[in-house]
Amino acid sequence: MDLLERYLYAVGRYLPMATKEDTLAELRANLLEQMDAHAEELGRPLTDDEIADTLRGHGNPAVVALRYLPQRSLIGPTIFPFYLLTLRPILAVVLLIYFITYGVKLIATGDTPGAWATGIVHALLGVIPVLLVNAAIITLIFAIIEVVHRKRYASTASDAWDPEKLSPLPAHSRPKPAASRIADLVFHCLWMLYVLEIPHHPYLIVGPGAAYLSHLSIGWAPVWHVFYAAFVVLLVLQLGIKIARLFGSLGRWKAALSLLESAFGVLTIGWLAFAGTYLIGTGPGADLHTLAIVNHWIGVSMRIVLLFALLDLAQGAWKYGKTLIPAERLIA
Amino acid sequence: MKSNPESGIFDSLRLELRRGCLILAVLAQLRVEHYGYTLRKALADEGLAIEESTLYPLLRRLETQGLLTSEWREEDKRQKRFYRLSPVGEAVLAQLLAEWNGINESLHKILKHQEATV
Repeated sequence: MDLLERYLYAVGRYLPMATKEDTLAELRANLLEQMDAHAEELGRPLTDDEIADTLRGHGNPAVVALRYLPQRSLIGPTIFPFYLLTLRPILAVVLLIYFITYGVKLIATGDTPGAWATGIVHALLGVIPVLLVNAAIITLIFAIIEVVHRKRYASTASDAWDPEKLSPLPAHSRPKPAASRIADLVFHCLWMLYVLEIPHHPYLIVGPGAAYLSHLSIGWAPVWHVFYAAFVVLLVLQLGIKIARLFGSLGRWKAALSLLESAFGVLTIGWLAFAGTYLIGTGPGADLHTLAIVNHWIGVSMRIVLLFALLDLAQGAWKYGKTLIPAERLIA
Repeated sequence: MKSNPESGIFDSLRLELRRGCLILAVLAQLRVEHYGYTLRKALADEGLAIEESTLYPLLRRLETQGLLTSEWREEDKRQKRFYRLSPVGEAVLAQLLAEWNGINESLHKILKHQEATV
């Protein structure tokens, strides 16, 4: 019966001290009874292999011991939905603050695309420890709430709620009326006409400053020509999407197209952010020192815009990615 | 032969169904005194086989909840722990039986209605 005693010892390692001896005594008695009955059927004592089979059939010692422990959870089923509802937005805010902080640091110190790329990689690698620590803190807080709730309250606030006080549907889940889509298209066309006129009438974008700039022998760097072309391409794409929307909902394509728009915008702004030269001297009267300072700060502003565009793209990619996850995995 | 995903789903649902009935069966069987091994044998003889590693912790839990009482006694030169229903356990068993009969009746009606419409 060495095997039996070793088995009981293994089970006992996981049992609470208060009930260990009592539980093991009962388990010993029942297992011996089972083995005696088997031996009686066979008409002989059990071999070691047969005893091992009996113990194997009874179960893994750790699993057996766990079944004697009271059923408990770190965060119970009543509090768990609130825990999830809190965890997700808080982690989203933590992520936002983390990336904004990192972004500001990048803008201040990253002067080259290489420095930005390295910085972004470091930021992405640092995300996981930040998320883990914050998730652990939130879990600990809710575990404490669970303990207090179990001790004090029989029911929770979730038992009393009023359907009439539910928040209204968000705007994007209501379909846009046709008049709104038509107006959107008309304004977009007007905006395109405005943009197309800019090369012929620069005052449309800088106002009276256009004449002042030429007086100071300052002109637009060639980088703006490429940017302008890319911007017009983006406007044409958006025009196509708005025309398509007139004929019906874009369904699942809406999110993907929106993501493509954001990605195209990020590429354009990214290219512009590292161009370096935005204004150039066009004559001997140009103050090159001041031009250099202005170009530097225009670059910094572009990088700030790039950061927000990246955050917007990341958020859009995250939302789109969630729609691709099967429903049963979201529930699990 | 059932495909793996279907048999997996069936096993999981079967376990849930049996889990619900098990406590009622154990309480009902303990209207007469038993110790762990004889209880398991009695349930198996009635067609409700249950693993020892499930039954013995269940008995402990029911005792902690006040539905069973137990005592150690010597039988056949061996110390054994005998269980039986407590007064609270008898009252709860009566309520559970009423609940069970109600569910059984509703299920029969549903099935009868479906047979009539098919």
